[in-house]
Amino acid sequence: MRSLLRYARLYLLITSQYVKSRMQYRADFLISSVGMAFSSVATVLVFWVLFRSIPDLVGWSFNEILFMYAFYLLSVVPLQLFFDHIWQLRFHVVEGTFIKYYLRPINIMFYYMSDMIDIKGWVKLALGVSMLIYASQRLGLSWNLWRVFLLGIALFSSSLVAISILTIAACATFWIIGSFPVMDLAIKIRDFSPYPMTIFDGFFRFLFTYLIPIGFVAFYPSQLFLRPGEVPVLTYFSPVVGIGSFALAYFVWNRGVNQYTGTGS
Amino acid sequence: MKSYVALARSSYMAAMMYRFSFSFTLIGNLLYIALLYYLWGSIYRDVETIRGMSFNQAFVYVALAGAIFTMVKTWADWEISYHIRSGAIIMDLIKPLDFQLYALSRTVGFLFFNVTMIALPSALVLFLLFGANIEVGVGLLFLPAALVLAFLVSFAIDYIIGLTSFYTESIWGISTTKEIITTLLSGALVPLQFFPDVAQRLLRFLPFQAIYHVPLTVLTSPDLGVKDCAALLGTQAAWVLILFVLGRFFFTRASRVLTVSGG
Repeated sequence: MRSLLRYARLYLLITSQYVKSRMQYRADFLISSVGMAFSSVATVLVFWVLFRSIPDLVGWSFNEILFMYAFYLLSVVPLQLFFDHIWQLRFHVVEGTFIKYYLRPINIMFYYMSDMIDIKGWVKLALGVSMLIYASQRLGLSWNLWRVFLLGIALFSSSLVAISILTIAACATFWIIGSFPVMDLAIKIRDFSPYPMTIFDGFFRFLFTYLIPIGFVAFYPSQLFLRPGEVPVLTYFSPVVGIGSFALAYFVWNRGVNQYTGTGS
Repeated sequence: MKSYVALARSSYMAAMMYRFSFSFTLIGNLLYIALLYYLWGSIYRDVETIRGMSFNQAFVYVALAGAIFTMVKTWADWEISYHIRSGAIIMDLIKPLDFQLYALSRTVGFLFFNVTMIALPSALVLFLLFGANIEVGVGLLFLPAALVLAFLVSFAIDYIIGLTSFYTESIWGISTTKEIITTLLSGALVPLQFFPDVAQRLLRFLPFQAIYHVPLTVLTSPDLGVKDCAALLGTQAAWVLILFVLGRFFFTRASRVLTVSGG
């Protein structure tokens, strides 16, 4: 417990330094927020354009897909806010600046991730919440305290899955030169997570449920709220999948960190 | 001219260094095409044609959009911004070369790399593996030229975006916004035929459709005549001209405010 408090305090200290340095670039923050909003709005527009031509997508209506997308947005918020430094990992590793993170008596992953907080992630949070409310209203879903609590657990689990997939992809840089395509592919795959996994069959449905579990980023957990009457058994495994994949990501990270030898400069 | 060719050659060689990178990009692209196949398969589950497009046409359209995406991604905006932040821009500017052509020739090396190593193999697999057989008309003859023009339009936009980093510290926001607008409004995600009529008419007046929609239309519409194709390529060429001139004009303005930190 003591160490948890210590880490919380450290996080605030390290992160506030970063936020202070970013505050110099107010214009950049504003433009970036607009860019972030644009990317979500564009996805909704794509859905809208598609649903002009089809009544439903494998049995799911526009508003249901919108709900899944809102769920997806919310589940990537922690990744966006607190783990965004993962994108810089390959530069730190190649240029040797990663060595800095070995030199403090604190957890390396914690130190590395706390070095940056992506404040523009608030846009995803705001858009996610408003879309979730809009879609719920359109679908006539009822919310109570218990269901909000469930939503919290579901989002916690799915955000761990989102974090883990990208972390493992980023760790490729410890072993490979030029690992950007690995992250790029991880993002491309993740972009399919707001879609019903039932658009896939056979190999891909297996892949996205058990191996690269993007199904647990939005599709499976959101059915708890969308169709409470017919929740698939898989949905209840969300917390297990979340914690399990984070444990795996942490293991891969440690393997990478332990065999990294620096650049010699 | 010789120096520009040398620049293009060196960026091609630099790209070759990352062989893992390219093989993985290729695998990633193929996987992505497979996912699109499923997605569009389920969109077309109950219908034969949507907005006059068959499944085959729509699938080839979006899948090839992915291949074109790796082709027209010039990274020129990021490169200019990176050079400004690192100070290397000074070395670029004192070279007795035209800055726009200098930036262009550096991206051309990547273009050749991406076309030979990623775009062509992806397209080949698309036709062999997915059996995506489409009727082609005379448009096929125009495709190479349309692709080159698409690349030039994309570069000219990226160049202008890159120049904005003379004014701001980071271009993440503006570059991301550009990329989203380009992919959405050019038909890279959903064929333009799916958009409402008003939107379609509006989008034809914007440069973005010159990047994806024109080459893809030339390829997937068998009933286009020589005249239609020439007209489509004409609009592309017009955009290349307009955007290149705009970029040159912007450069003379922007280079006046350039500040370089340290060295």
